[in-house]
Amino acid sequence: MKTNRTFLGIILTMIFSMFPTASTPAEVIDVKEIVHQVDQLYRSDFSYSEVEMEIVTPHWQRTLSMQAWTQGMDQTFIRITAPDKEKGMATLRIKNEMWNYLPKTNKVIKIPPSMMMSSWMGSDFTNDDLVKEFSLYDDFSYQLIPSAKGSEDTILINCIPRPDLPIVWHNIVIAGRKEDHLPVWQKYYDEKGQLMRILNYSEVKKFGTRTLPATMEMIPQNKEGHKTVIRYLALDFDRKINPEVFSLRHLRGD
Amino acid sequence: MRLYLKLAVRNLLRNKRRSFIAGTAIGIGLAALIFTDALMVGMERNMIASATESFMGEGQIHRAGYRESYDVEKTINRRLEVVSGLEHETIIRHFSPRVFSFAMITSPSNVSSVSLVGIDPDKERYLSQVDEAVNSGSFFSGTGEHDLVIGNKLAEILEVGLGDRLVLTVAQAYSGDLSQELFRVSGIYHLNVQEMDQAMALVRLPQAQKMLGLGEEIHEIALRFTDSRYAEEANLPFWRSYSQFGNETVGWPELMPDLKAAFDLASFATFFVGLILFGVVALGIINTLFMSLHERMFEFGVLRAVGTRSSVMALLIVFEAGALAALSIFLGIILGSLVTGIMTKIGINYVGIEFSGVTFRKLLYPVFQVKQFVLYPLVVFVFTVLVGLYPAIFAARMSPAKAMRRSF
Amino acid sequence: MLTLKMAWRNIFRQKRRTVLSILTMFGGFTLSAISIGWADGTYNRIIDMFTRNRLGHIQIHARGYLDRPSIYKWIKDYQKIGEEIQKIQGVEAWVPRLYSAGLASVGDKSAGARIIGIDPERETAATRFDKKIIQGRSFSPKPSHQAILGKGLARTLKAKTDDQIVIVSQGADGSIANDLYTIVGITESGDPTQDLSSFFLHLKDAQDLLVLDSVIHEMAVIVSKLGQVSRITQQIRTTLNDPGLEVSPWQEFGRSFFVAMQADKEGNWIMLFIVVLIVAIGVLNTVLMTVLERTREYGVMRALGTGRFLVFRLIVYEVALMALIGMVIGFGLSLLINHQLSIHGIAMPHAFRYGGVEFTHYYTEINARSFYIPAVTVFFSALLVSIFPALRAAHISPARALRTH
Repeated sequence: MKTNRTFLGIILTMIFSMFPTASTPAEVIDVKEIVHQVDQLYRSDFSYSEVEMEIVTPHWQRTLSMQAWTQGMDQTFIRITAPDKEKGMATLRIKNEMWNYLPKTNKVIKIPPSMMMSSWMGSDFTNDDLVKEFSLYDDFSYQLIPSAKGSEDTILINCIPRPDLPIVWHNIVIAGRKEDHLPVWQKYYDEKGQLMRILNYSEVKKFGTRTLPATMEMIPQNKEGHKTVIRYLALDFDRKINPEVFSLRHLRGD
Repeated sequence: MRLYLKLAVRNLLRNKRRSFIAGTAIGIGLAALIFTDALMVGMERNMIASATESFMGEGQIHRAGYRESYDVEKTINRRLEVVSGLEHETIIRHFSPRVFSFAMITSPSNVSSVSLVGIDPDKERYLSQVDEAVNSGSFFSGTGEHDLVIGNKLAEILEVGLGDRLVLTVAQAYSGDLSQELFRVSGIYHLNVQEMDQAMALVRLPQAQKMLGLGEEIHEIALRFTDSRYAEEANLPFWRSYSQFGNETVGWPELMPDLKAAFDLASFATFFVGLILFGVVALGIINTLFMSLHERMFEFGVLRAVGTRSSVMALLIVFEAGALAALSIFLGIILGSLVTGIMTKIGINYVGIEFSGVTFRKLLYPVFQVKQFVLYPLVVFVFTVLVGLYPAIFAARMSPAKAMRRSF
Repeated sequence: MLTLKMAWRNIFRQKRRTVLSILTMFGGFTLSAISIGWADGTYNRIIDMFTRNRLGHIQIHARGYLDRPSIYKWIKDYQKIGEEIQKIQGVEAWVPRLYSAGLASVGDKSAGARIIGIDPERETAATRFDKKIIQGRSFSPKPSHQAILGKGLARTLKAKTDDQIVIVSQGADGSIANDLYTIVGITESGDPTQDLSSFFLHLKDAQDLLVLDSVIHEMAVIVSKLGQVSRITQQIRTTLNDPGLEVSPWQEFGRSFFVAMQADKEGNWIMLFIVVLIVAIGVLNTVLMTVLERTREYGVMRALGTGRFLVFRLIVYEVALMALIGMVIGFGLSLLINHQLSIHGIAMPHAFRYGGVEFTHYYTEINARSFYIPAVTVFFSALLVSIFPALRAAHISPARALRTH
């Protein structure tokens, strides 16, 4: 059983990253290595990023712009910069506690643990993503899937979770680019073998010393007309972060 | 005395048909009282059972203050003492320890908020009816640590079936850390109680305790007495002895005040209707006695004419009234037991109906009670004799001549 | 009509016998009438309290809302709908309501809340909203960023009147809705589960918060007479003639309550049946005795040449007349008693709370049923019961009859 404290889902998962992108020799397909890379792609000890999140539902469509700072696994700060209605809103998380700042009312609300488990912003990322952060490398066993015709440049890896891992997926299939092992998509399957959602990676860009897909698109397969897209506009793993960032004062915008 | 009795009985037997009809009329009244009372008691018992047996238990022990906030940290104090005490308690038939927490449950298709309930299946079996309501899979047979039992409505919402994966997420006690575990659906039940079918997820006690970081502590002990009526006794010393050391022990009337209120409403209602019923029976008695008196006006006149004393006249009639009462009671008890007895075998079907937050789960059976066979007959007897006083006095006072003229 | 006259005179000849018979009949009538009046009265009162007090007698939603509520299943142009409904005869009032969920926070305490947008004036007039406020006061008529909390919610948040409360929710456009309000009152609906999460706002404030422009989720309709609910429901459906709307009477949206009431009513029917049975037997007893004891008399009549049919008719008329007199007296008496009880009621040993309302008395109700059922029972059981003995009396041989005492 792993305990963890992340809450803002995929945004935070992406914000961690550690290793520079590896460009491994193309001939030997080391499955483990690939998985490891995908795992570590967005992880870091600390990071600063500017992100756009577009949420599409049958009833409405919104795009939020935000700035995010992270430090280790415990501290996160996010400020929304657009659109106007939400501009200035901020969220601070330190270990197990979370606060929201609402500029309109100039109030800071503490989020009770029960609310922390529910989805935020109506996005398509489930509890698993919101709460759990598992390591593809540590918690799964993986095997190469022989390539189907017409996809000679992608490697397919089937990742099966270890028996008691608390996730609902039966298996996740990752498609990675042969040349640089960057992920192309991830498909999530339930136990009946049904495809439940697809995560597409695209727009590979260079951010400082790293090259990675700047856009991630999550499309649920069991709900019509829903999707969530996250785009990195800026990503910095080298900038040192002022600890003051993770404070209630900063939350209020001082 | 014996002479009067003999006379009374013989008089009754003289006109068998009349006596029989009269006796039957009053007897039916008594039978009706018996049946209605039995029905009401049965209904009450059924409702209480439905409320307490499905899950709640007849009483519960918690840490004082737990019920107000449902704080995960408020576990029962001196748990080991309490448990060993209960094991030696003669009035406790069964008890079951439980752990509760707010939780999120996720399936590949959906997410829902539920109440996570950690139970000890071997103990829980005797206390609640969830195990009987399982219609798919089993109620924790086997030893799987990650067994999970949910209601059918929840299974529908999450789109899962037996064997499917579900992840439960809770916030740990004291630290607030979120913890998650994988479970597999091992049983699905249908209790026909909405909240339970939709918002409860049952797991083994140690699993829940581990997830919540509670060690061996528990939130609640549900109780079942050897006699369910103990729960309604407010003065039972049991409540106090288990409400020490910061704990609180209460019976279902306190746990479900709404139900208690509904009962009070119902019992008063029954009382009122019983009153009306009795009025009708009384009418029957008056009616019958007067009828028989008039029929025999001539006869009484003759008796007086030959010198019977007034007091004797009166007594004769009173005894007759008594004899009639005895006959009626006899008939009434037979009829009453018969009808009620048949109903106790067939039962009345109220299954599925919800009232005051309680759903009827079993057939309704009338319940025989001693008072039905002692109190009611006694009341009928006394009333019949009392009513007999009027014609008795009348007969004592009348002039023979007048009486003998009246028979036409 | 000689027979009738004879019948009439006969019954006055034997005063005591007649009195007894009539006593049984009117006694039975009155008791049955009170039983029915009481049962109906109590139930209807409970139902009325339950529906009128909060939920309404009839509710209107967008189709599918009751099944799976969603903020997007709204009702447009509700003012116009309201006007149409108000025109229907029997409709007393209607109220609009808006629902959503959110997070409420006071100071450093926060909790999940159910946001309910109401029109204070209408709500007060129709469901006595102001009477349920236990602390503070109701909303000002104009939307002024005020909030009223359910008792349980106020306690969880440790909130008092005049405190500032923040609510965060999701707007219908997907944006994060949030705003600040002043708590002006705390309410108790009688349903503790509701009170744990109820967060009332002025309708306009709620619409602004949730980015819902002049739409609502529910319209509750109050009618003046409970018995009219079915008719009015049908009329609303026809008048609105909109397949996108669902009109539900309380029996549908308050299904579990309805079913419970029905079950209880059925239980009462059993008891009523018993009462009626006993009354019938009482009448049988009386009539039987009456006829049997006059066997001699009939023997004489027959011996004198009276036709069989006449004897039969005579007996039946006598019984019928007594029954009628019994009914008239019974009617008068039960009317009196029921009337009194329907106004003053019978005090209960201790008050009983249900659905937020305190019941202190039992009331009966005066309705047609409480009269015609006993009437039919008494009259027909009397007649029925008289047939056998009447036939017997008519056919007995005069010689035999004369020999009987």
